[in-house]
Amino acid sequence: MNEMENTSEMQPFMEIVAHEGLNNAAKGFGSMVGTPFKVSASEVSTVPVEEIPFLAGGPENEIVGIYLHAEGDVAGQILLMFPVEKALELVDLLMEQPEGTTQELDTMARSALAEVGNLVGSFFLNSVASLTGLDTRPSPPAIVVDMVAALLSMVTATCATMGDEALMIKGDFSQIDRGTQLQFWVMPDPDTLGKINEKLN
Amino acid sequence: MRTDNVITVGLGELAISEDPSDVLTAFGLGSCLGIGAYAPAIGVGGLLHAMLPEYSKKEDRLAPKYVDSGLLQLIKELEAKGAVREQLHINMVGAANMIEMQGVPNQLKIGERNLEVAYRILNELGLKIQNEETGGTIGRTTRLYVETGAMTVRAMGKPERPIGQSIPEPA
Repeated sequence: MNEMENTSEMQPFMEIVAHEGLNNAAKGFGSMVGTPFKVSASEVSTVPVEEIPFLAGGPENEIVGIYLHAEGDVAGQILLMFPVEKALELVDLLMEQPEGTTQELDTMARSALAEVGNLVGSFFLNSVASLTGLDTRPSPPAIVVDMVAALLSMVTATCATMGDEALMIKGDFSQIDRGTQLQFWVMPDPDTLGKINEKLN
Repeated sequence: MRTDNVITVGLGELAISEDPSDVLTAFGLGSCLGIGAYAPAIGVGGLLHAMLPEYSKKEDRLAPKYVDSGLLQLIKELEAKGAVREQLHINMVGAANMIEMQGVPNQLKIGERNLEVAYRILNELGLKIQNEETGGTIGRTTRLYVETGAMTVRAMGKPERPIGQSIPEPA
């Protein structure tokens, strides 16, 4: 898996991808919800895969994940994570209901969240496609409500089939006057990094 | 009263203990497979937290990352402590398919493949499974109490309970 050797020389470019992609995704998210969001933190790092399950807090904490695959020349995993109460609030916002109306994530609520995943993922990938000139598109999203570690172990296992380390793009989206609302992670497949590197050279 | 000493068994790790106060714990197993083995005669237990089905050919620093190599290491380390293979109590938790998506690459069926490999290796070793709660689409935390050899399972929002008290979901 020589592709990972490229990650240090690719770091500056991946930071540009992260910056533009995350800001575009936050813009898309804000326009969907009807209130502006900013990227309050972003990071590009290479981590040993077995550390991934510990990067989002207590392993047994309940979390809502929206999971997508990027497919095409640029491939990888995309994950949006919300604490459960934030996901419920978001569904109320999207469905124009008073806050507190949604008490559980039923089929309707899940489908609203899937729309969020679709839109935010597409905004991110549009930036990636225009920066790299490579083709990419999102898969239909899946919604997972479970323990943090259980959700992330699946993401980790998928990374681990391709290498011992994974390059991660992480961003926090926040409302101007409130705390973090969602975490947005992108883990490109190692092959994809090779393709981007070829294109850059 | 003594307090339980929680030993976290992380992803791709294996822990063996003969200290009765130890509780070997794998948090939030998703597609990963937790395999507990306990030797009642000597009070030694081990818990494996394997992530992928089969050991890759290339050199890898983490044998317990894989079901096949991890399981062999688990049994070997227990035997080194004096356990008799045929007397081991084997229990399994995890191997869920967390995500069901249309047109998903089969790499996401990791849970299923982990389970298939575990069955095959256990069969080759002549070992029987005492209880298992595997498959389905839910995450689970499992604990192995070294004092008694009891293994428990806990799903999100549910209390901890002994494994095998409900009918396991089909793999």
